[in-house]
Amino acid sequence: MYVLQQLVNGICQGSIYALMAIGYALIFGVVGLVTFTYGEIIMLGAFSAFYYFIVFGDNLILSLLCGFVVAGLVGIVVHKVCYQRFLDAPRYISLIATIGMSMFIKNLAIIVFGSTMKGLPLFFEGQNLVIAERTIDGVRQQLSLTYLQVVVIVTVVVLSIALTLFLNKTRIGMRLRAVSQDRKAAALVGVNVKNTTLLGNCIGCGFGGIAGILLGLYYNSIIPTMGGVAGLKAFSAVVIGGLSNIAGAAIGGISIGIVENLGIAFIPNGSGYRDVYAFLFLIIALVIKPEGLFSRRTGTV
Amino acid sequence: MKLTNKIKASHARDYRSVLFVLAAAALIVAPIIIDATVHKSSYVIDIMVRILFYVIFASSLNVINGYSGQFNIGHAGFMLIGSYTGALLSTKLGMGGVWYWVAIPISGIFTAIAGFLVSLPTLKLRGIYLAIVTLGFSEIIRLIAMNWTAVTNGPMGVKNIPKIWLFGLRKTSSPMVIYYIVLVFVVLCLYSTYKIINSRVGRAWMSIREDSTASQSLGINVNRYKAFNFMLGAFWAGVGGALMAIYYRFISADMFVLDEGFNVLAMVILGGQGTLVGPVLGAVIVNLITEFFRFADEYRLVLYGLLIILTMWLRPQGLAGATNTVLAGQAITQDSSKKTAVDDGADA
Amino acid sequence: MSIRKLPVLVMIVSLLLVSATIWAGGQNEADGAQADGSAPIKIGVAAPITGNWAEYGLGFEVATAMAAEEINAAGGINGRSVELVVMDSKGDAKEATAIARQFSDDDDILAVVGDFSSTCCMAAAPIYEEAGLVQISPTASNPNYAGLNEYMFGVMGVQSAEGPFVGEYLLGNYVGAERVAVVYLNNDWGVAAKTFLIETAKEIGIDVVAEENHVDGEKDFTALLTKIQQSNPDTICLVTFYNECAIIANQVAQMNWDVQLTALGPGASEQIIELGGANVEGFLTSTPFFATNDGVSRASAFKTDFESRAGFTLNVHSACAYDALNMVAEAMRNSDVLSRESVRDELAGMKGFEGVTGPIEFQPAGDIVRKYLIVGIEDGKWVQMTDYSYAE
Repeated sequence: MYVLQQLVNGICQGSIYALMAIGYALIFGVVGLVTFTYGEIIMLGAFSAFYYFIVFGDNLILSLLCGFVVAGLVGIVVHKVCYQRFLDAPRYISLIATIGMSMFIKNLAIIVFGSTMKGLPLFFEGQNLVIAERTIDGVRQQLSLTYLQVVVIVTVVVLSIALTLFLNKTRIGMRLRAVSQDRKAAALVGVNVKNTTLLGNCIGCGFGGIAGILLGLYYNSIIPTMGGVAGLKAFSAVVIGGLSNIAGAAIGGISIGIVENLGIAFIPNGSGYRDVYAFLFLIIALVIKPEGLFSRRTGTV
Repeated sequence: MKLTNKIKASHARDYRSVLFVLAAAALIVAPIIIDATVHKSSYVIDIMVRILFYVIFASSLNVINGYSGQFNIGHAGFMLIGSYTGALLSTKLGMGGVWYWVAIPISGIFTAIAGFLVSLPTLKLRGIYLAIVTLGFSEIIRLIAMNWTAVTNGPMGVKNIPKIWLFGLRKTSSPMVIYYIVLVFVVLCLYSTYKIINSRVGRAWMSIREDSTASQSLGINVNRYKAFNFMLGAFWAGVGGALMAIYYRFISADMFVLDEGFNVLAMVILGGQGTLVGPVLGAVIVNLITEFFRFADEYRLVLYGLLIILTMWLRPQGLAGATNTVLAGQAITQDSSKKTAVDDGADA
Repeated sequence: MSIRKLPVLVMIVSLLLVSATIWAGGQNEADGAQADGSAPIKIGVAAPITGNWAEYGLGFEVATAMAAEEINAAGGINGRSVELVVMDSKGDAKEATAIARQFSDDDDILAVVGDFSSTCCMAAAPIYEEAGLVQISPTASNPNYAGLNEYMFGVMGVQSAEGPFVGEYLLGNYVGAERVAVVYLNNDWGVAAKTFLIETAKEIGIDVVAEENHVDGEKDFTALLTKIQQSNPDTICLVTFYNECAIIANQVAQMNWDVQLTALGPGASEQIIELGGANVEGFLTSTPFFATNDGVSRASAFKTDFESRAGFTLNVHSACAYDALNMVAEAMRNSDVLSRESVRDELAGMKGFEGVTGPIEFQPAGDIVRKYLIVGIEDGKWVQMTDYSYAE
């Protein structure tokens, strides 16, 4: 029971990572560049919802939409400033530009939003889905999920399926995939590479914004410095998942969550080592499968 | 025609050595002049010492990123290992004072071993995959330093790090004396890097950077050279870290967060990687600018972020990158592909 | 090409070095020139105004600015006005030492208030000692900090006092806990605090059944909480900041787990109520300082004024910064001949200072032993449960 509950904890936390990783995978797939600004996009999404709730009242669906749009718009700016110019240049140039951008956004956010931690309205408060419960020697053990956790898990599944369908079945999606696989060839068959890349980045950032809101709701806390850790976890999940594979990224995120939580569960006073478990898992995974656990093709991106 | 070329070249060489002597003299005399003219100078000299530390860190990172085309974004991990090794050797094993002259190289070697270990899984990884492994390594090392209280003193950090003996003269931690000690190591670091990149080893690294598969087929043992490359970069990061521990006399794991590694990376790239002068220039400029921006209060890092973006727009190859060969020179000039000097080969 | 550019670069490097140093040096001399009897007295403030600790650093900035303004409005210090020189340390120990050097070099600066973290304070300590300059930290409570040298002072109160108070009085007497799980923040403050706490708790017969740490910025405690639930504690004691306290309270509620939550460290932070809502009802913590917005006490007036200026709620850290600056000013008023040395001597010997956070008197080491209150959350409000005499 204890192991099961820790597993559930891991899956729930992993779903948050997965949610963030989906957008990152799309960005990486289409733009083909590593970004360190993604964490700040997540943060901006969360804050846009914070202000949305203040101005327009508590409507979860509309706030998610708002976060999607705001993050997507910021994505355009990031694209123009950090990627477009450097698409054909060595990668580290845009990487450094995104580090600069992240520094810029984060510190400006501290000034504009204030440096203190803020809460979001509580949705689904106090409702629990107790799956099983028992008491051994006076210690209550239970297997339970909160509704918010269910919402997050469902969102992850729905979004990754929807996005995969979108990429495989729609015309725009196919263009995105074409650009992702081979920029030059895509241009040759008449795809507007420039706009498609921009669009892909925009959608990816939009998903980052949604992830940010759910992240904020899940822990009921948002703070301008929240992006760093979030971006790092998304990045790790995407690498494990094979870089541009949407479903792979989601599974990568969930597996990181599970590894972390089981590490904490079984190593005495081991909570401080959370990221050590995650990164060790990442490194071992890469040594075993250098292209990521779930990559479909090798070495193109 | 040939003769005039030769004369031109020898003139240039003379000119160059004169300038070297001048620059060296300026660096040696500067603190003395400042100390004599400025009323109280420890702050100014402190900044100069800090710049020298970052020259070592940036140059050592440049060995890895600039010359062999591997992509290390977790340099803070190596700095941490060197720093902690130096600090723990002196506080726990009594290797302070005059023993530092042994402890500093040991710290370097220890870090080089860590560099070797990191390079093992990364030998078959490239680009982004390698980058995230170095990033993960950096965080793992930091968290271990922070949690392994029995050895590293955990979150309390290592304090009361003993002062250094300068050739039996006296124990010291004054910025002025440390300045000269670090300057010696900076010169050693740059000179050895210069020698190595102009040797067979350096040419092998650069050919790996350009095309690893082709190098392999030319009979270069790519893995061995890559591992050695990581070890050399880590070695100097370790030496720099140990020196830093001696100077600050207090270190803790939170001095080596990821951002610190990014900061060094920014210096290398802003200055121009794959050149000897680039990282030096980057270290000088970034440190002076962050110090200068202090007036901007909470807007300081906002401005710094903007500046990084602006530099990438205006000079994506880095400030010293355009010349392609500045000091790194001849070897690359002979390869003569301008693009490769800035291409880190980070294409996964 | 390459050969022509080389000298240019070498020149740039050396020019930059030399010009920067001369520029900085020139500033020093200009500053030194205006030190006469009527010039403002300068006090340095070192705080993490940017970076991850920014909310505390900004609190320092506002609180010290308020104190300086009040001092100046009341006629200054023996006719001379106070001028603050605020420097941002980013919470980075290297920056803190650079600031220490800068303050030390500026002869006009007679005392320094700061820094936030014990790490920064301790890194800067040897430099201030060399310069004979006082560093009075509002928040550093590492038991080793103030004793580093005679110029170091701390007004937060050492952990060797708060830990035992929480162990014996909050957990023991007040809650009557039998099985306690301790969750602490893994930094120098957290480790010191929980060590004293656990020591005392064990002495009075409380069973410490679990001990877990977390890193700064942690948000998901479900694994940790599920784990300590296995050891069946009746009380959890959190040695951490308000953010984490609120998040843990929320996650405990999500688990449907009925356990008493207590804390050491966050103080009566309104943010806990804001972030935790109904989940923090019954939450108990120790605090050296308690103020409400009722406008009755001096502390309350200060709180209202602070919040209208800062735009965020007052915490104990900012209140201590306010007191620290006022203590420095008091020490300066008491000095016959004002100097860095006199500030130190007067601070060390100061008796009967009443701050907004209560009476402050330094021990020989330069830190203080505070008295603590127990406060708790009832009906969405902080309520004082015991007074200062509870531990007597």
